[in-house]
Order: sequence, then structure tokens, then C-alpha cells
Amino acid sequence: MPIFNVHVTIENKSGISDPEGDTILNDLVLKGTQKTVSKIKTAKMLKFTIKEKDKKSAQSKVQLICDDLRIYNPMVSKVTIDVFDE
Amino acid sequence: MSLEPQELSELKSKIGRDPTSTELHIIAAEWSEHCSYKSSKKHLKMLPMKGPLVINEKGYDSGVLDVGDGYVVTAHIESHNHPSAVEPYGGAATGVGGVIRDILSAGTRPIAIFDGLRFGNIEKDQQARWLFKNAVTGIADYGNCLGIPTIGGEVEFDDCYQNYALVDVAAVGFGRKENLIKNHAQKDDLVVLLGGSTGRDGIGGSQFASDSLESEDRSAVQIPDPFIEKLIIEAILEARNHKLIHAMKDLGGGGLSCAVSETAEALEIGIEMDVDKVHTRESNMHPDEIMVSESQERMLIVTNKTKLKKLQEICKKFRIGCSVIGHVKSDNQMHVKKGKKTFANLPTDVVANATLLDLPSKKPAYLETIQKEKKLKPISNYSKTMMTLLASPNIASKIWVYGQYDHEVGIRTVLKPGADASVLRLDNGKFLSAKIDGNPKQCYVNPREGAIGCFEEACRNVVCTGAKPIGMLDHLQFGNPKDPEIFWTFLESLKGLTDFAKYFEIPCVGGKVSLHNETPAGSIKPTPVIGVLGLIDKKPLVPQKIIESDCLVILGDTKDEMGGSEYFEYIHKFIGGRCPSVDFAESKKNMKTVLDSIENLLLKSVHDCSKGGLAVAVSELCMTNQIGCNISLDKIPCEKLDVDRILFSETHSRYLMTLDKKNLKKLETLLKKNKVSFQLVGHFGGDKIQFNDGKKTIIDLRVDKAQKTWLNSLRDLVLHG
Repeated sequence: MPIFNVHVTIENKSGISDPEGDTILNDLVLKGTQKTVSKIKTAKMLKFTIKEKDKKSAQSKVQLICDDLRIYNPMVSKVTIDVFDE
Repeated sequence: MSLEPQELSELKSKIGRDPTSTELHIIAAEWSEHCSYKSSKKHLKMLPMKGPLVINEKGYDSGVLDVGDGYVVTAHIESHNHPSAVEPYGGAATGVGGVIRDILSAGTRPIAIFDGLRFGNIEKDQQARWLFKNAVTGIADYGNCLGIPTIGGEVEFDDCYQNYALVDVAAVGFGRKENLIKNHAQKDDLVVLLGGSTGRDGIGGSQFASDSLESEDRSAVQIPDPFIEKLIIEAILEARNHKLIHAMKDLGGGGLSCAVSETAEALEIGIEMDVDKVHTRESNMHPDEIMVSESQERMLIVTNKTKLKKLQEICKKFRIGCSVIGHVKSDNQMHVKKGKKTFANLPTDVVANATLLDLPSKKPAYLETIQKEKKLKPISNYSKTMMTLLASPNIASKIWVYGQYDHEVGIRTVLKPGADASVLRLDNGKFLSAKIDGNPKQCYVNPREGAIGCFEEACRNVVCTGAKPIGMLDHLQFGNPKDPEIFWTFLESLKGLTDFAKYFEIPCVGGKVSLHNETPAGSIKPTPVIGVLGLIDKKPLVPQKIIESDCLVILGDTKDEMGGSEYFEYIHKFIGGRCPSVDFAESKKNMKTVLDSIENLLLKSVHDCSKGGLAVAVSELCMTNQIGCNISLDKIPCEKLDVDRILFSETHSRYLMTLDKKNLKKLETLLKKNKVSFQLVGHFGGDKIQFNDGKKTIIDLRVDKAQKTWLNSLRDLVLHG
């Protein structure tokens, strides 16, 4: 079976505040010379390496794992799953 | 929205027209159970709220007690149950934030946090473990970032909280009496919104808290930002020092709707505000959303034009938002505009005063039979049973929880969590002792006696440190009040608390009612949580290390009161039996005796008997001091009881006094003089916890083994399932 790298990005849903991202923007980036930056959002990423028959099943397997183990809170977080060939 | 049809027609008749959409949102928030206390307010008046030390000012969100020498202590308790059940980390953290701002709104600096946590069965339920773990982390992260010590609390698990969480947070503040904010306002004063920006998080939170948690509600999730809260604390206290604040209110449930209407109503003024002036996180927010958003870390301040500049300078220094959103008028109207267009214009007394309900109550049918005990399986090995109890989530050490909290920051903490009550050093040389306690198992078996028991237990705990109780906070958590049986349990608990408070002359200085605590599985058990503040004029009793041949004296009788005990419920899986009841006169006598003994420097430590009864209380003393003890059960003052009852009955008003044997005679003389029931029941020494019935050893445990189990079992359960 082929091996895939699956990246799971967990971030706050839009409309929910992101104090960490705001702090990095206001107290770090904008204090320097990078005045063109207007928004920073923080996220957590998990990188899975998984053996599955195809990309689709790799994605659904990882989604299932994240849901079952409550790796993120569906009330607060948006999850994006990207699958790459190894 | 939670506005009911009759409430809508009542609103229409009061204002003589159809309400606008914004007005409906404002009223739905303010008339919700969470904000209006419409089911409970009529009855809460029975609690004694005045006392020689109580300072009452209009519009305070926290209770104020005069502790002498020009200083005051403030206290408040809140819960964040519904948000914590949905998003435990953020819900619990913002619960801390909310109660901190209540303390701040009186003009005092928050100096301590307490938290009472309740979850489902963490041994069986993965969701309960997830809720527990994340709620604790949320509290720790928020309190630790603020630099406010979390110095006490309690944790309990019960099947009735399945897929739910009760997160109660109490906070204590301290300050100079002269710096208290005397809420007042006059025409043309300015209304300022200070702190974090307003977003779509938490919209409808107060109504969400007033509905049963049948479906998860995304919009009621609140995101914590402790760093903004810390900046708000410092900015507000600096503004207070410059006398820039005329009146102040925290934005909690109901957001701007409640803060504006309640401030206007309390100060008998009108407020005209413009939603365009509110600093928002997102563009295109509708006025309805701005008015009911429960975004955290915001304060409403009334100041005047000459003081505004200085206030803005302070906010700029601390880099927090500060918007003039309106001004004070004399028309007693809450007028909400967007630019020139009016979106709401309501009399403040209509907004702030929902019609109070007179709900029916009926004694629950289950109470008719609950006292009856079933025949229990005899225990063949009490040592094994004891180890099972020490490892049980409700009795095991909570060090995994409070070990995550910074409980020393601020250098006031004299007695840390883990003792009976925590003690803080005050600037006037006195000490403040505080504790919160609850016991839903006993409250279910007998709502009145159970509530009184919680109150007495909190008193016992502060008395164990040498403090005299001076004030109480009550947090009454029940299911749907429209169920007459549930409402009856609420009333019974309240009546019990009132009777105890009056008898002991302990005023209620603050409180909260949280109703509708229900899940699809049903209502929670009645869960009043009582906080007691005690004052120590001289020095607290800091427990001294118990050594070989020290004596153990028990004060108070043990009775046949196993109802709601951990022994019945955890070991025998039996809910029922006779609930422990407090004999007020005996309780008062015992409290006085403990305080006399501490004052006369006769004791090394005092520990109260509560969950798990005598057997657990003695074991706790042995395990924390790493020393064995030999107890003669036949010496325990009681009517004829079997071994189970002597060991595990949770009778109130009992204290374990440890002392050097050289003080024994003096102590016995004092106890006899005070005419209390007591006995010397054992001596410390060796490395075994032994309970003997005549010549027969009933329990025989190695202290080190017991201690390892007691200290680690909760952590192992949470981390490894």
C-alpha cells in the first residue's frame, strides 16, 4: 500500500477571536518594519504518515481519528486536511 | 431567543408598541433566567444580607466586607456551566475572567480564585475525562497568566453530570475602603466601553445558559484572553487611583444590553449609546449582535468629559481599547442608536426588571422512599475497601488539579490548597480564610439538610484554620425551575441555608443562581455550592508536623447518617439512606471550642470529618504527615453503631484535633468546660493506619502504600484512563 503524508491544520473558526495571533501581529510583527502584514492567525498542525490504499481513504481515516479522539473541538475549531504523496 | 409568548405580549403592553428587532434581542438577554433571576429573585430575599461588616452600595457586582483598619475584602461567585460543557477550556477560563471583573468593579484588586468543578463519571466516561482535563487547564492557564493565585476549591464526580460540567469560580478582592467605587452618575457624564473588542463570540450566551443543553450551540463559545484581562485590571486600578471612575460594571451575561440597562436602572439615569462607537473585532456586525455579544474582557465605565483624557491616556499606556459609546441622560431610557437612526429606545426599568415568577413547587416523589436503606453486602476485607475508597475520584487527593494552579503568586498565601481551607495574609496584619464546599449526593437525598451540610462544612473548614466565619457566598445550581419537584428542592435548600445563616449570624454577601442545568439524560442533582470567608485577627493555625506519640482527639458525635455517603454510593452503588443533619446548637458549640483550643495554642492541627467519614479523615492526617496511627473504634463518641457506620458515616460538626500529649490535660479541661462531646481515640506512631474494634484490627494499611494510591490515582485516571 502507498504511504501518504497527511497534514491536519486546526485553527479557530472565523469570527472566533485568536488572541495569540493578534498578539504576534501587534506586539511582534507590527513593532518591526513589516507594515504590510494585516492579519496573523495561529493554528496547530499535526503531520500524519499513513499507509492507505489511496488519498481519499488516507484523508477519511485521519479525519476519523481526529474526530474519535477529540483531537480538536468541533465547536471552536476548523480543521483542514491535506494529503500529500510521500 | 428565549422570550416566551406571554413575555412578548407583556413587553408590548409595557411599551405600547411592537418592539424592534434590537429591542427583542436586548429583552431576551435581560429577561433570561441567567440575567433576571426571574424564578428565584422573590425567594432569595429570605437570605440575611446585612451584618456589621457588610458594606452595601448600589450596583455592586460583588459583596463587600469591612475587615478593619480601613481595608475591605470583596467576594463573588459565578458559574460558567453551559459554556464549559461545550468548550471546557474556554468556558472555564472565561468563567474565571468574569468573576475577576466582578471583584474589580467594586474598585478592589483580585487576590485569589477558588474553583468548584463537577463532572460525570470519569472512570467510565471518556467525555467526562476530556471535560475535566480541559476545564482544569483552562482555569490554570487563565489564573496563572493573570498573576492571581488559585488557592482552593473542590472537585466532584457524579453520574448526574454525564456529558455536562459545573464550573463554579469564586474570587476574593482586597483594597482600601476609601478606594471603593461609589457608583453614581449625572447628566452628560460619558459612558465608556473599555477592554477587548466586541465580536460574534458568545452571542446569545445568557439565553443559552437559560435553556437546557440539548444541542450544542456554536455561537455561545467564548474565547479567553487573560493578557487583555490583566491589562484591564491594571488600567482600572490606575484609573480608580486617579478618581476617574464614577460608576463601573463588568460585561458578563447579556453583554452590553445588561451592562447598560442595569447600570442605568441602578443609578436611576438614562443612557443613550451609539453602536457605531463600539470597537468591534469584525466589520458589518448588526446592532443586535453588538448589543448581545458576550465577548470577554470588557468593562463599562461612567466618567465625565474632564476625566476622559486621563482615562484615555491610561488605556493607551496599557494598550487596551477605550471607546466613548454614549452619554448619561436624565430620562431613564436606554436609547440605542446607530449613527442617527434609533434601533432601541426602552425604559430602563422595563429592560432591567423582568416580571418575577411565582413558580409552583411540589415535594418530589422519590424523597418518600429514599431514606430507606437496602440490605448491603457485608464487607469481608475493610482494608481493601479502604484502599478502594482512597483511590476513588471523589476521595483521592486533588493534587493533580491544584498542582497546575499557581497558588502562591502575590505572596499572600499562608495556607495553600490541600489543607481544610486556604489562608491569605492581609495588609492590616489580619488573615483571611476561605473555602467553598458542595455535596450533591447529600443534597439529593435531603435538599434542606444537604445544603445546610455544605454551609457547615465550609464553616468547619475555615474554623480549622482558626478563623471566625464572617460572610458566605451561595451558588445555587438546579435543573429546570418549571418542574415543580425541582423547584421544591431549590426552595428547601434555600430555606435551609437561610436558617443556618440567621442562626450563626453569617450574612450572605453574594451569590448566583444557575438553573436549567439539564442534559438529555435529565436534571442534575441539587448542587448548592457554599463559600465561606473567615477572619483571623491574630495568627492562623498552620498545621504542624505530627510526630510519634502525638494524640488524636475527636470532637463531636458520630451518628447513623450514611445517606449520600461515598461509602454507600461508591462501594455499594446505593443512593439513599438518612442524610446527615446539623444540630445548630451542637455545631455552634463545637466551632467555638475549636477556636478556643486554637487560641490557647493547644493544637498541632485540626481536620474536619467530611467525605468518606472518620476513616478517610484519619487516613488523610496519616498520609499527609507520613506517620501511622492506632484508633480504637470503641472510643468514638456515638450511640451504638456498627463498624461501617463508625468508619464511614459523614455526620457533620466533627473535628479531628491533633496535639502534643503534654497539652492533653489542658485540652480535656477546656473541652469539658465547653460541654462538648469528645474522646481521645488514638495515638500517632509507626507506619500503619490501624482501626481496631476491641482487640480485633478492622483496617490495617501501610501509610506509604495508602499515600501512593491516594496521591496518584486521580492523575493516573485522567492521563491514562
